[in-house]
Amino acid sequence: MRNNKEKAIAIHKKSVWRRLGDQWQLMLMSVPMLLYVFLFNYAPMWGWLTAFQDYKPKLGLTGSPWVSMKNFAWLFSRQDFLNSIRNTLAMSIINLVLGTITSILLAVLLNEVRNRTFKRTVQTVTYLPHFLSMVIVVGMAQNIFASNGAVNNLLLSLGLVKEPVFFLGEGKYFWGLVGVINVWKEVGWNTIIYISAMTAIDPCLHEAAAIDGAGRFQRILNVTLPGIKSTFVILLIMNIGHLMEAGFEMQYLLGSSVVIDWSQTIDVFVMNYGISKQQYGVATAAGLFKSVVAIILLIGANTISKKLDEDTLI
Amino acid sequence: MRKLLVALLALALMVTLCAGAIAENLEPITLTVFRGDPGDQPAEDNKIYKLIEEKFGVTFEFEFLAGDLDETLGLKIANEDYPDLFDGGNSADLIIQNGALRNLLDFINPEDTPRLWAHIEPQKARLIEQDEEGNDVLYIIPNYGLADGEQIANYVSGPAFFIQKQVLAWDNYPQIHTLNEYFDLIERFIAANPTDENGAPYIGFDILCEDWRHFCLINPVQHLMGRPNDGEVLIDVSTDDFKTETFIDKPYAKGYYKKLNEEFHKGLISKDTFVMNYDQYIAQLSSGTVLGMFDQYWDFSGTAEAALRTAGMDKNTYVALGLVYDPEYVDGKEIEEHYLNGSLPNVRRGFGISVNCDDEKAKRIVDMWEEMLSDEWQLIFNWGIEGEDYYVDENGRLNMTEEQYKNTQDNTWKLHNKANAFFESSPKKQGWIMDGQFEGNAWEVGNQPEIVLGQMVDYDKDFLSHYGYSKWADFVNPPIELAPYGEAWQIDYSPVDIEHTDFLAVQDQRLPEIIMADESEFDAKWDAFVEEIAPSASVFESFMQDAVLKEAQKVLGNE
Repeated sequence: MRNNKEKAIAIHKKSVWRRLGDQWQLMLMSVPMLLYVFLFNYAPMWGWLTAFQDYKPKLGLTGSPWVSMKNFAWLFSRQDFLNSIRNTLAMSIINLVLGTITSILLAVLLNEVRNRTFKRTVQTVTYLPHFLSMVIVVGMAQNIFASNGAVNNLLLSLGLVKEPVFFLGEGKYFWGLVGVINVWKEVGWNTIIYISAMTAIDPCLHEAAAIDGAGRFQRILNVTLPGIKSTFVILLIMNIGHLMEAGFEMQYLLGSSVVIDWSQTIDVFVMNYGISKQQYGVATAAGLFKSVVAIILLIGANTISKKLDEDTLI
Repeated sequence: MRKLLVALLALALMVTLCAGAIAENLEPITLTVFRGDPGDQPAEDNKIYKLIEEKFGVTFEFEFLAGDLDETLGLKIANEDYPDLFDGGNSADLIIQNGALRNLLDFINPEDTPRLWAHIEPQKARLIEQDEEGNDVLYIIPNYGLADGEQIANYVSGPAFFIQKQVLAWDNYPQIHTLNEYFDLIERFIAANPTDENGAPYIGFDILCEDWRHFCLINPVQHLMGRPNDGEVLIDVSTDDFKTETFIDKPYAKGYYKKLNEEFHKGLISKDTFVMNYDQYIAQLSSGTVLGMFDQYWDFSGTAEAALRTAGMDKNTYVALGLVYDPEYVDGKEIEEHYLNGSLPNVRRGFGISVNCDDEKAKRIVDMWEEMLSDEWQLIFNWGIEGEDYYVDENGRLNMTEEQYKNTQDNTWKLHNKANAFFESSPKKQGWIMDGQFEGNAWEVGNQPEIVLGQMVDYDKDFLSHYGYSKWADFVNPPIELAPYGEAWQIDYSPVDIEHTDFLAVQDQRLPEIIMADESEFDAKWDAFVEEIAPSASVFESFMQDAVLKEAQKVLGNE
C-alpha cells in the first residue's frame, strides 16, 4: 500500500519533459490536432486587434489607425444595436426552451413506441428537414404564413380570425415564427442524442420499476427522464455558451425592413453596418463583444451546475 | 513527284500555321471576371466567346453576384480577392475607395488607343477625376451612355408609373397624367373586373421594398414634382446654386403617401407587398395580375415583361406613364412632367481592371477593348454574325427575320450565341452608326427603327394606333437637357455612408408603416417619421448640396 503510494508520487514527480518523452507516440499523434487548433482558433485572434482600429484593408493591421474604444462606443450608442442584442438573446432563449422541450418530448414518445417500423419512419421523417437549406425552409415559411397562405386560410375557415394575420410583417410575431420554424426544422435531429441516451439506460431499471407496479407514465417520470438528466445538463451548458448565436440565415432571409426592430440579430447587424459598409473594426468589435459574453455565460452556467452538484462540462 | 507535292503542301501548311501563331503572338490567358449583378454562365460552346478566344487568345471565368452586392464587395475587399475584370455594379464606389482598381489612364492615350480615347474624349470632364494627389484618374469606362448622334428614346427605360395595357384599353384609351387620374382608373377597373379570366384576384398597385430596389417605395415623389431621376434628392435646376434638398421629409411628399394610405384601405395595395422579395415580385408581375406599380423599366423588362410576352399575355404588359401631382397636392401649382432626361454617361459603372491584374495582363485587356471598339466587333456583339443572326438588305439596312429576332429574346439561345456577360459591362458604342458602310443604322438591335416597328406584335400596334402614337416614349414628354451635374444618383456618397444608410433605413422601416397606418394615426405617424429622419437627412442633404455643385463645376468650368 505505502509502497504503491510512494511509487505514484515518484511517477508524478518525474519531470514533465520526461513524461512527455515516455509518451512520444501519443504526443506525435496529437501534433496535427494542436496545429489545427492553433492555426484556426488561436492565430486568428490577432484579428481581434482590429476591434480597436479604424481598419482599412488597404493599410492592413499594421497601418490602420488605432481608435481605442471608439468602435464599441459607436455600437452601444445605437438603439438598433441594443435592439439586436435583445433580439439575439430572446430568440436564442425561445429556441433553446422550445427546442429542448419538444425534442425531449418527441424522444420520450418515440422511446415508448414498440413498433420498430413506425418508430424508424417517424424518426426519419422528423429529422429530414434538418438537411434542407435555410433558403428553402424560409421560402416555404413565407408561402405558408403569407396573407393568402395555408395558416391564414385555416384560421379564416375555422372563423378564428376575421381578416388574415400579417405574420410576416408585424414585429410581434417574428420571434414566435422563428421558434416554430426552428422546431420544425431541428426537432427530429435534436432527438437523436436523447434517444441514444435513453437506449443506454439499463433495461433492468425498467423491469424493476414495472415489477414494483409502476405504470408507463410512472416509468417515464422515474426511470427515463432521470436517465437522460446528465445528457440534458451537458447539452444545456453547451447551448448556453451559444446563446449569443441566435442564427443569421433565418433572420436575414425572413426579416424585412418592416419588422427590423424585432428581427435584426447581432450577426445581421454586423453584416448590414459592418461588412456592407466596410466598417471592419465595428464588425470585429461586435464579434469580440459576443465572444466575451458567451464565455461569461458558459462559465456561469458551468459554475451553477457545479454548485448544484450536477455534471459539468469543464 | 506526287509524293514531293504532298510533302511540299504539308510543309506549306506547317509554315502557314506557324506564321499564323507567330502573327498573333498572344499567349492564351484566362481572365477572371466579376459582375455586380446576377446572371447565368454562358454555354461552353458559345460562338462569340470562341471568336474572342481565336482572335485575342482570351477566355473568361465569370462570377456573378449571388446575394447582396455591398456584402459581397465588402468580403472581396476584406480579403483583397479581386478578379481581373471587376464590375462593382451600383456600388463600384466602394471598390474604388478601397483602392481595388487600376488607373486606366496608364494605358489609354490618343496614340496607343485612339478608339478608346475618341470614345471617352467628349465626356472627359465627367469621366476623369482627380485622386488625393491631384493626378488624373479614370477607373471605369462607362458601360453605357456614351452614345453617338441624336438621342434615341423609343421607350422609357428608367423610372415611371407603369400600368397594364388592358386597363387603358378597358377605359377606351384615356390620357392619364396625374396621380389621382391613375389611381382612379385602377380603382374603377378593379371594381368592374375584380379577377382575371382564371379567377385570380387583381392587385391594384405593387410596391417593391426589398434591399436596393426600394427606389420603388422612396423615389416617386421627385418625379411627381416634375424632375427626372436624381436619386434621393430634389434639385431646383432653375437656381444658380442647384438648390438640393431631400424630398422625402418635405410636406409635398406627404400627399403621395397619404394617397397610398387611402388606396391601401381601399384594398388596392396588399400588405404582402411590403415583405415581398424581388423574386416574389417578379413572379407576381409575371402572373399578369398586377395592374400597376412604380418601377424602372429595366428592373422587370427582361424578366416579368419577357415572361408575359412568352405566355402571349400582351394585354398584361405595361405602359410607362409620366405622372405628376394634381394641383391640389402642391398648392394649386401646375407641374410639368419630365421623366426622360438627356443621355448621360453611366459614370463609374462597368468593368474596371483590378490591382491584382499585372501590367502585361492589363495592357492585353485594354488592347482588346481598343480592337473591340471597331465597327466589326461592335456589330458582332450587338447584332451577331451576318447571315446567321441578322441580314443586310439591299439598302444597306441591318435587319432580322422574325425567327432571328425571336432568338434574341430567348435567354437560353443568348447563352449560346451572345457574349452579353462580357459585353454588357465593357465599353461600347451606342446611338447611331455615324460613318462607314452602315451609316445611319442603330448600333443596338432594340433601337433600329426596322426592328422597333417590324417586330411589334399586333396587339401593340393596335394599342398605339388608338393613341395615334408611333412609339412608347410618346406617352411621356421628350427628354429634357441634361443638367450640368448629370443625375444626382450617380454621386459617390461614401463619405456619408453611415448617415445615408440610416437615412434609407428609416424610410424602409417607417414608410410601409405609414402606408398601412389607420387613417386616424396617419398624421401622427408622418410627423414622427419626419422627426426621426431629420438627423440623417440633414447630413445627407448638405453633403449632396456640395457634391452636386462640385459635379456641376466640373462640367461648367470646362466650358
